[in-house]
Amino acid sequence: MIFLGFTDPEKDAEIVRYCADHVIRKVVLFSPEKYRFPCSFPEHEHIEWSEIIKYVFYYRLLQEIDGATLLVINECLRTQNRHELTYNCLRLFLNQTPHKLIFQYLPIIDTWDDFAILFDLDTQSRWKREKIGADRLGESIIRITQVSLDLHAVPVDAGAKTKAAYAREKTKLLAEVRGDPAKDPHNIPRNLYLMSGKAKLGCIDPGAHYIGRNNRFKLSNLQTYKESSYPRAPYTVFEFCHNFLDFSDFLALSRQTQLDVLVADLKVDQWYFERYMAWSRRLRDAYMTLGRVP
Amino acid sequence: MRLVQSYAAKKTVLEAARDRIAFVFDHYESIIVSVSGGKDSTVLAHLALVEAHRRGRRIGIYFLDEEVVYQSTIDQVEYLMTLYPENTIPLWLQLEFHLTNATSSTEGQLIAWEAGKHKLWMRPKRKGSIQHPPWDREKQTVRDKNKGFGFYDVIENFERCYTGTAFLVGLRAVESPNRWRAMVKNPIGVGERRIYWGTQKGANVALYPLYDWNYFDIWRYLYEERVKYSRIYDLMFKKGYPITEMRVSSFIHERSFKSIVDLPEFEPKTYERLLKRIKGIALAQETGKAAKLFRVSKLPKNFRSWIAYRDFLLKTHPDPERRPIFEKRFARHLQNEYVARQQCRQLILNDYENNLPVDNKPDPRDELIRYYDEVL
Repeated sequence: MIFLGFTDPEKDAEIVRYCADHVIRKVVLFSPEKYRFPCSFPEHEHIEWSEIIKYVFYYRLLQEIDGATLLVINECLRTQNRHELTYNCLRLFLNQTPHKLIFQYLPIIDTWDDFAILFDLDTQSRWKREKIGADRLGESIIRITQVSLDLHAVPVDAGAKTKAAYAREKTKLLAEVRGDPAKDPHNIPRNLYLMSGKAKLGCIDPGAHYIGRNNRFKLSNLQTYKESSYPRAPYTVFEFCHNFLDFSDFLALSRQTQLDVLVADLKVDQWYFERYMAWSRRLRDAYMTLGRVP
Repeated sequence: MRLVQSYAAKKTVLEAARDRIAFVFDHYESIIVSVSGGKDSTVLAHLALVEAHRRGRRIGIYFLDEEVVYQSTIDQVEYLMTLYPENTIPLWLQLEFHLTNATSSTEGQLIAWEAGKHKLWMRPKRKGSIQHPPWDREKQTVRDKNKGFGFYDVIENFERCYTGTAFLVGLRAVESPNRWRAMVKNPIGVGERRIYWGTQKGANVALYPLYDWNYFDIWRYLYEERVKYSRIYDLMFKKGYPITEMRVSSFIHERSFKSIVDLPEFEPKTYERLLKRIKGIALAQETGKAAKLFRVSKLPKNFRSWIAYRDFLLKTHPDPERRPIFEKRFARHLQNEYVARQQCRQLILNDYENNLPVDNKPDPRDELIRYYDEVL
């Protein structure tokens, strides 16, 4: 069974309910550290995402997991590679018990194909090699609390000085990337995006909270995308991260769905905003596909 | 005669394959099944042997032994050869022929079953195997004289020993569009029917009764019919191999050398023998999946560009006979980093035969940089 968008207490309630309805001796919860939640079932064990592949856990779990073990796969959509070794280890654990609950906040990282990873985990990987469409989704029970993401642009004037510096930096970055084949072209937008930071500083409200790539400006009211909790929601997006996974983590941990985004009048800011708008549309389309489950 | 391909909608692929095999038995006196020890040829050989047993006929089970293969492959072929001995004509070929060795530049070829090196062979030759060419040596053909008498030369010369024979091959269309095209592009007429799962091969025909099977059909058949399969698949599954990489073939050619990385874990004794048999094995075992070496996906830090790395590899290539082959080929290619990386791969893997062709097109990285230049 796949549960999308559930809160920690709701997840725990589902586990308790499942254990009451089935003969369960032990619950094993696989989860990244920052998503760990208290489990009310007395006999339980937490396994951190990065430890799943370690022999010390892997072989022991292969021996221990049996038909009376409930496996909880919590927020384990961590990479888009459907054949990732950690997923393969989970597949082998899942082959040893019919009892499994899969919790995930958002159904995708970037594209619809990501959902196939969750689907594989819930269906003994029977369709591991195929693309998953709405017609196949009936093979799995999916319960959804939909997340409707709303991004609202707050315009920021960058000023002539920043714009001139931006043009210089762009020329420099392009020359560097063209001259060195080891340099990643994706560094061009990543680095240019940092240029608008100073312009956005003027718009910072000391009473509000912000989310940004790093705290290079030493702001006490700004958190980065790498943190394990976001207790001061609502946050305004000071700048987007480049990876959608980091942004998904932020949304899952903060539970924020309405976001103001500072968008400077530099082309890179517009580009990032459009990129995330397109991402939010893909997310909405994924929910629409899930809604068509036969 | 039908002009278009058609499928029987209410048949399973197993029923269709059984029908096809029965059809082959009805129309051909002489039938030979090519086996490799892999899962597909195991299913095909089993289906054909069951039919031969039912009809009291004898069919050839043909295995070209490349010497440097898993012991499990040998065990599997042995199993198939002895499954229905009264219906089997064993055609186990252990002849001297050349194989490309992608793991070493200094010993670029292995001569399988080389005379005088029997102490180094992976295992002794099998009793009852075909150890001398059964064809007329004077009429023997060789595709590429630079390479010498190779794998496909053995197959072609061996097939020419027969006429009017049906060679059954376990190819499946879903494995790649090229395979599908190779199987169906030249349909043949057999009796009243037009066969889309076969091609004419000189005086013989090659037939592909499993051409529409998917991988799960194969596994389901093996499970339901309780047919033994190579244990390497189980080991690969436990190790987390993707289905597309679960392959059982020779260890040393350009597409399969990665299997050496896990060989010490899967078959330590086979690995020990392979180390003694040919150069490059220890390096391939350690670095077969390394980005800066055999995968050729990361540029070594000593070089500023793939073009510089390619030029270095070409300049220092240890084989003076092969170097001009690469130089001539590369002269026809575009000069960009994308192409140069693939050329480095050919050089590292000693692919003078061009089995891993270069995708000769403008560099996608340049396209990306141009895109960022425009939008940012």
